[in-house]
Amino acid sequence: MTMKWIVLGIKKFSMQQATNNNDHLNDLGDLLLEVGTLLMSAGANTNRIRVTMKRIAQSYHNQAEFLITHRAIMLTIYDEKGKTFFNQVKQTYAQVPDFTMVSGISRLSWHIVEEQLPMAEVRKEIERLKSKPKYPRWVVLTAVAFACSSFCRLAGGDPLEMGAVFFAAITGLFLRQELTKKSFNPYFSVFLAAFLSTIISGSLGYFGLYEHDNITLVTSILYLIPGIPLINSISDFLDGYSLNGLVRAVNGFVISFAIASGLLIALLIYNFV
Amino acid sequence: MHFIESWFWFGFAALGFAILFNVPKRTLTAIFMMGGFGGLVKLLFLEWNNGVILGTLIASIFVGFVSIAAAHSKHSPPFVFAIPAVIPMVPGSFAYYTMKGIIKLAYNQTPEDFLPLLNETVTNGFKTMFILLAIAVGVFAPMLLTARESAKQIKIPLFSHDKNQG
Repeated sequence: MTMKWIVLGIKKFSMQQATNNNDHLNDLGDLLLEVGTLLMSAGANTNRIRVTMKRIAQSYHNQAEFLITHRAIMLTIYDEKGKTFFNQVKQTYAQVPDFTMVSGISRLSWHIVEEQLPMAEVRKEIERLKSKPKYPRWVVLTAVAFACSSFCRLAGGDPLEMGAVFFAAITGLFLRQELTKKSFNPYFSVFLAAFLSTIISGSLGYFGLYEHDNITLVTSILYLIPGIPLINSISDFLDGYSLNGLVRAVNGFVISFAIASGLLIALLIYNFV
Repeated sequence: MHFIESWFWFGFAALGFAILFNVPKRTLTAIFMMGGFGGLVKLLFLEWNNGVILGTLIASIFVGFVSIAAAHSKHSPPFVFAIPAVIPMVPGSFAYYTMKGIIKLAYNQTPEDFLPLLNETVTNGFKTMFILLAIAVGVFAPMLLTARESAKQIKIPLFSHDKNQG
């Protein structure tokens, strides 16, 4: 009689262990997918995403395999018997460059490795990173417009042209931010922003107020250049993720094409061609 | 004097893009410096030799290596510094002239005008392409040359006090 109770007790205990372990694997799976999708949408390259996810999985002593693509991440975790346990796909968020997020997650992954942080604390840290305040909007607008003026100066522009470029860039970036907020197609908002910026920066030149029309036109749209997709594309190619590299390159070229179309229409309107 | 002024503008161009990409605040000064000095390396090379592609490659390799040193001291991944810092070298005007050339080629041209225009457009297009390639490869060069997976494993003796984070 007592023997039976003991056996039952052991069985119950081992089942509890198993569910605890399953909960742990579920949590780990959710965590890895969250980290991967956040990194992908913040503008990290594929190798960094893979290394970070692998590092976290290993520090919790689990084997994880994954497929990383531009729009979704697919993850499989094995339990200790080598059976597939967790299998899920998660869509990535909208692509908004956010290097604070990348930097924060990178530091977090090293903390996990070095201090064996419990999962709940990792979750808390990720939520903190997500809710971290970004730069105020006026700071972004002013800094980016000033960057475009700096480009203008480097290309040989005078203060009047720099002012025109500043105004054109600040208006165009504002328009783009508003369109993104209203969830317009990202390429279309780039096109409209490029058009508005070149119309503004070309207008003074059209009335003959300054010499170098070309400089003002080209530097006023430089805030739109797809630097992150193009650089990440090459680094993905070099790391052997040809498919992801191709996707990023095409993405960068479509953005460039959108910029060029906006510029082209402004050029045709002003008869600069 | 001309160089000091250029350094200043290169720095601000990098800083603007750093803020657009929402980098951590602690990295802003380093990005300003790297943007400025990266641009200066390119300008100094152009003083000596007229090869804009090679100049850009050298400048972005410089930025790539400094970004690893900066990553150790400011605790951020190297590309957080490197991408905003190389953006001022993006061949905006070459891309613009390529675009303008293509538009002109689409119009009816006389045979005499066509060939010089084609020449110029193709040259500008290839320059744009190779400069972009040089920038990306340059930023990536430290990883290629040291064959490491993470910048944490690369030791650059600039910040030797930081061995634990290395």
